[in-house]
Amino acid sequence: MSTWYAMNVVLVQTTLTTLLLALSIQVPLRFGVFSFAGVGAFGIGGYGSAIAMVHLGWSTWPAVAFGAVVAGLVVFLLGLVVQRLTGLYMGMATIAFTLIVSVLAVNGGDLTGGAMGLYGALGEISVLQILLVVLLVVALLHLTELGGMGRRVDAVRDDPELANALGVDVVRYRQFSFLVSGLIGGLAGAITTLLRSTITPAEVNFHLVILALTAIVVGGSRSWVGALIGAVIFVWLPTWIGFLAEWERVAYGVIVAVAAIYLPLGVLGVAKDLWHRFRTREERARVAALAKES
Amino acid sequence: MAETTPDQEAPLLEVRDVAVHFGGVKAVDGISMKLWPGRIYGVLGPNGSGKSTLLGAMTRLTPMTRGAFVFEGQDYTKKHARTIQHMGIARTFQTVRLLEDRTVRDNILLGTDSLGRETRKEAAARVDEVMERLGIQEVERMRPDELSYGMQRRVEFARAIISRPRLLLLDEPTAGMNTSEREEISAIMRQLLEEGVTQFIVEHDVQMMVDTCDYLYAMNFGKLIAEGTPTDVVRDPAVQEAYLGKGAGKHA
Repeated sequence: MSTWYAMNVVLVQTTLTTLLLALSIQVPLRFGVFSFAGVGAFGIGGYGSAIAMVHLGWSTWPAVAFGAVVAGLVVFLLGLVVQRLTGLYMGMATIAFTLIVSVLAVNGGDLTGGAMGLYGALGEISVLQILLVVLLVVALLHLTELGGMGRRVDAVRDDPELANALGVDVVRYRQFSFLVSGLIGGLAGAITTLLRSTITPAEVNFHLVILALTAIVVGGSRSWVGALIGAVIFVWLPTWIGFLAEWERVAYGVIVAVAAIYLPLGVLGVAKDLWHRFRTREERARVAALAKES
Repeated sequence: MAETTPDQEAPLLEVRDVAVHFGGVKAVDGISMKLWPGRIYGVLGPNGSGKSTLLGAMTRLTPMTRGAFVFEGQDYTKKHARTIQHMGIARTFQTVRLLEDRTVRDNILLGTDSLGRETRKEAAARVDEVMERLGIQEVERMRPDELSYGMQRRVEFARAIISRPRLLLLDEPTAGMNTSEREEISAIMRQLLEEGVTQFIVEHDVQMMVDTCDYLYAMNFGKLIAEGTPTDVVRDPAVQEAYLGKGAGKHA
């Protein structure tokens, strides 16, 4: 492989796992659920896979699957408990869930390795394998953005009462979003952990919420493409703006603030809007002319 | 002219002593109706008379205090709002409720997205015809916020009729429209009736109701104050009083 690839292989890996993490937060948001449980799932997936390898002696991919499935089930059950909450309250409850995962890891004794974390869970994972996993996840998510399914998801998010009136089972859709969020977050945590061979409670923390959320805010919250744009920007940004040295964090903050204020639907939202305007330029001109006449 | 009970065996929708109380406020207070197939029914009443609340209860979006709804012989009072569309009842809303980031075509198709495969196929084949009928085919790729209010209402209307409901509930379908637009929508309603769509309209525009409906109810303070043919109801002293205050003359 090229020297560029050899130099940047870790960044490529991190981009893919960050994309998964961002997707685990984006999926519930697309269903109108303000949930950060995906980050808790990241922790459960990480610990689950490490425990499977270190304590049970499982090989890499069964351990990853174990971590992801446990995370999916736990977050699904969490969803059943908190499904009546909305907005900020939902956000608070799911962040609390993430902190609880971290606290349990600290107090897990030999099982989790306590505050020092678990070591020696080195999986055999190639970038190609991660890429295949990500492609599978993205392909499945893409299906939820297409056609009738995409429209129903949009209705569940933008106007749940309307969605109900049109026959959509809003509650089930939202429960499903918890399950998917847990599975993807667990996958992200498991792969990240087995790449690094270690996980500590400190890694399962609020900074992951911020990372995932900023990636979605800047990239775009309505499609996996936005999460990809966000993941690429925030993983590679340090290498692009390294020359700013200690001002790097300021630049990061400015980018997030500008995106939040001026690009409510992220980079992807702007791109889609421009495309829409270009595509409908004739119709819009006609409608504007009609409005002038009357 | 219309009578209360035509020859059909059973009413399409029966409303039995329905009440919706919000705390001490009796928004709907003991309404009973029988809607027979093949007609356009209207509920007339000033703002705040409880018409829209009745529609909300009918679609099970608004919790009821008491009473029952029976559609084609099936009591659906305890069913969830999402099942109403599956039974064959569609509705529009008083305010425009369209998906902002979706095109006109997408918004219309949303009307059948959770129904059976056959219905969805048929809708996909019919959507152009429905748009043409409502005069929105030209703007099918545009988004709701790029359209005039009257156009947005037409999109809502299209979304409600794309599923070929047997009962169509319309909440102030022509609010914010000019006279010629109202006449167009009224004509579409009559045309839909010929295709077998029974309709139930809630509206405070008297002229539109008289022109469009076969049978009228009048509501005030949550109760029915009159029912019958449009001309009878409009002449009813109680209705005139509700609309124009005491001592008012004939409404034109």
